[in-house]
Amino acid sequence: MSRVASLYTMCPDAAAAERTVDALLSAGARREDITVISSEPFDRYEFGQHEKSRFMPWLVVLGAILGGTAGFLLVSLTTESYPIVTGGMPITPGWITGIITYELTMLAAILTTLLVLLLTAPLFRWKQEPYDVQVADGKVLVGINPQGDLPDKVKEVLKVCEDGAGGGIER
Amino acid sequence: MTTTPDQIKHDLINHDVINHDLLRPVGQASARFFLVVAMLGLVVLAGFSAWGYQLYSGIGVAGIRRPVFWGFYITNFVFWIGISHAGTLISAILRLANAGWRRPVTRCAEVITVFALCIGAMFPVIHLGRPWVAFWLVPYPNERGLWPNYRSPLVWDFFAIDTYLIGSITFLILPIIPDFALCRDKFSGWRKTFYGLLALGWRGTQRQWHRLETAMHIMAIVIIPVAVSVHTIVSWDFAMTPVPMWHSTIFAPYFVAGAIFSGIAALIVAMVFLRRFLHLEEYLPSVCFENLGKLLLLMSLLWVYFVFAERLTIWYGNQPAEVAVLWLTQKGPYRYLFWIMVACNFGIPFPLLAIKKLRTITGTCIASITVVVGMWLERYLIIVPSLSRKFLPYAWGTYRPTWVEITITAATFAGMALLYVMFAKLVPIISIWELKVGMREASESMPSVVAVSKARPTVSERSEHETVGFKNSHRVGKP
Amino acid sequence: MAHRWGMAVDLDRCTGCEACVVACRAENNIPSVGEDQAQKGRAIHWIRVERNYEGEFPDVRVKFQPVLCQQCNNAPCEPVCPTYASYHTDEGLNGQVYNRCIGTRYCANACSYTVRFFNFFNPAWDKPLHLQLNPDVSLRQVGIMEKCTFCVQRIKSAEIRAKEEKRELRDGEPAPACVQSCPPRALVFGDLNDPESEVSRLARSRRGVKLLGELGTQPNVTYLQRNEWNDNNT
Repeated sequence: MSRVASLYTMCPDAAAAERTVDALLSAGARREDITVISSEPFDRYEFGQHEKSRFMPWLVVLGAILGGTAGFLLVSLTTESYPIVTGGMPITPGWITGIITYELTMLAAILTTLLVLLLTAPLFRWKQEPYDVQVADGKVLVGINPQGDLPDKVKEVLKVCEDGAGGGIER
Repeated sequence: MTTTPDQIKHDLINHDVINHDLLRPVGQASARFFLVVAMLGLVVLAGFSAWGYQLYSGIGVAGIRRPVFWGFYITNFVFWIGISHAGTLISAILRLANAGWRRPVTRCAEVITVFALCIGAMFPVIHLGRPWVAFWLVPYPNERGLWPNYRSPLVWDFFAIDTYLIGSITFLILPIIPDFALCRDKFSGWRKTFYGLLALGWRGTQRQWHRLETAMHIMAIVIIPVAVSVHTIVSWDFAMTPVPMWHSTIFAPYFVAGAIFSGIAALIVAMVFLRRFLHLEEYLPSVCFENLGKLLLLMSLLWVYFVFAERLTIWYGNQPAEVAVLWLTQKGPYRYLFWIMVACNFGIPFPLLAIKKLRTITGTCIASITVVVGMWLERYLIIVPSLSRKFLPYAWGTYRPTWVEITITAATFAGMALLYVMFAKLVPIISIWELKVGMREASESMPSVVAVSKARPTVSERSEHETVGFKNSHRVGKP
Repeated sequence: MAHRWGMAVDLDRCTGCEACVVACRAENNIPSVGEDQAQKGRAIHWIRVERNYEGEFPDVRVKFQPVLCQQCNNAPCEPVCPTYASYHTDEGLNGQVYNRCIGTRYCANACSYTVRFFNFFNPAWDKPLHLQLNPDVSLRQVGIMEKCTFCVQRIKSAEIRAKEEKRELRDGEPAPACVQSCPPRALVFGDLNDPESEVSRLARSRRGVKLLGELGTQPNVTYLQRNEWNDNNT
């Protein structure tokens, strides 16, 4: 995806950002094009609910199962196939297999969580836009990534938010 | 800089004040900082020298002997792994319980966990007779017929501690990323580049926030059973042998409770020092210490319960070998240490924490320091008396630590303090974004919440901000 | 049939002369740790003679009790070694692989008889004492656990010789150094799987008892002593 020009405005708080997003939508912008950037998570607002998805825990469960299987195989298969002399004493009892399997299951769950986060957030991508350092002061950035020509109405919305400094579209 | 009601009304939270207060210690060092680092560094260096001397001369320079083959090093090992349970309890359990007062405390706690684990995990290597082949515990394909014995609790230790270490580091680092982004935005020069790298490109999109919060929630759920299993497995290093007074089924919950107990105490001590030296009085209010103090009281009572239950059953059961060890700590030469331990873990903390008037920040600090000392003594009294009196009286013996062991023990405490101080210098020690979320939630739940005003930001405030323009993005409206 | 090596120690015959201790040191290259280290409790003696005093003066009786590795069938020292340095051989011995030992000393803690010893420093033999070292037994460096092996080098060499000569091992043919040197023949060694061997016969004796038998370690060493429960002039 080549770098496309993106437009954004800084809203002083989350409520203003919410109003701005609503105004953009009613001005004809598409929801996928709108980006909201903040310095804290805003679960209670509608714009914070948009990107939620349910797949992450399931991926972690899958990773844990894989890890547990690996642990079980590590303990049961490898020790049985090694030429260790034990004079007939049990080489790997069930409880022991359970302990190591449990630890590796948990380790796999942790690593899967980390990996999924790094890949889907996504992280390790520097200098993405839009961004503005004013986000660090508590402002909320509302940006739009247009796929084509923007209707003027949308540009007006952004400008009003900027000038209204928190008012957005008056209802 | 104190917040005024006007500033709070502006957006419910004064970001400038919070950012300033919590970022102040980060990235800039005073002479006092370097002095502290130098002093602690000297002690740590002494510890490393002692270890080097031990590597060169042989493990015999330590005080261990037959039959007390484990002494100070294993005491330190269990102690530091125990301390590492601070972070898990506070962060994970309170996170799941949605307790609001935990927010400023979580990172302090998680840092303790990671560094205590790093220190504790060094001891299985330090106490080995041949530490240069310690890697034989790792299951790697080799031509020597080597393979770890999975039946051994030491191998379970290896897996459990590594899992917990990786989990704790993840649990610590994930919520730091948005704070690194904040540092990147507020600083300039080399600090901006440094924190920019560490922020991993975090912007704060809603998708990133959602993924991060889900990841933290999953981690909180996963890390609790891992932490319980870690100290359970450490306790099984002792309980899986037939040594009198070690072979006890109560060891697993006893050690976990003791670990949480010592962990909370260490956390309180760390928080008191941070509050004092970084001037975080507003962000670590006394309610945090009060609540932690109540938890400490609870764990103290639980500890007393376990100790009493164990000793009562041994005394009543009257098996000769076990009773011999019991009398060693009750009437024999270890009785002084035993009663000091009880005083430190229960006698002194109980009134300080139970009486509301005494449960101040100073009171909880004193109680916590005594608990840390008492818990170290407890580990010592579990390990050494049992080994010095096993089954055959002809093989009984006493233990005395040497300067090598004492130096290394002192160096671990200095090392922990050093790592902590350096961490607080590089990373905001209070999680800024979590604090803001907590403050927002607290004020929004109040009935007389002030509505969001429509005051414009003044021109002077605006011009202060660096507007770093990214290529190809245009800000609509006035710059 | 596979051998199962065992020993019988007749406490009624033991005079406490400690010839077994000396012979064991000579055979197995056991280092002398020096006076300072011995005072700290680090002396190494794979077999030791314990003295238990009974009665009051002038009716004191001393019981001598040689204690060595019991080669337990249910050894607590074996499951706990992280590198399998302590393992169970097919012939019922508790073997110690010096090369695998990393020196955690866990096995020594787990051993209920405290018969395991640790090399706290690198052993040294002043010249010319290094000439008397037994070439059949490897030297142990710092950080390695060691213990009585029932002189496994003698057992192995006896087995090899018997195989070359195409015959079975005779009863009493592999003799550990302690058994060979005991003047009153209080120590008897042999194959417990052979019901006719002397050690099997003694293990079945009415005077037989296992040291710390209540712990369930199932040792291969049987102690014989006459006491008020079994004293029928047998």
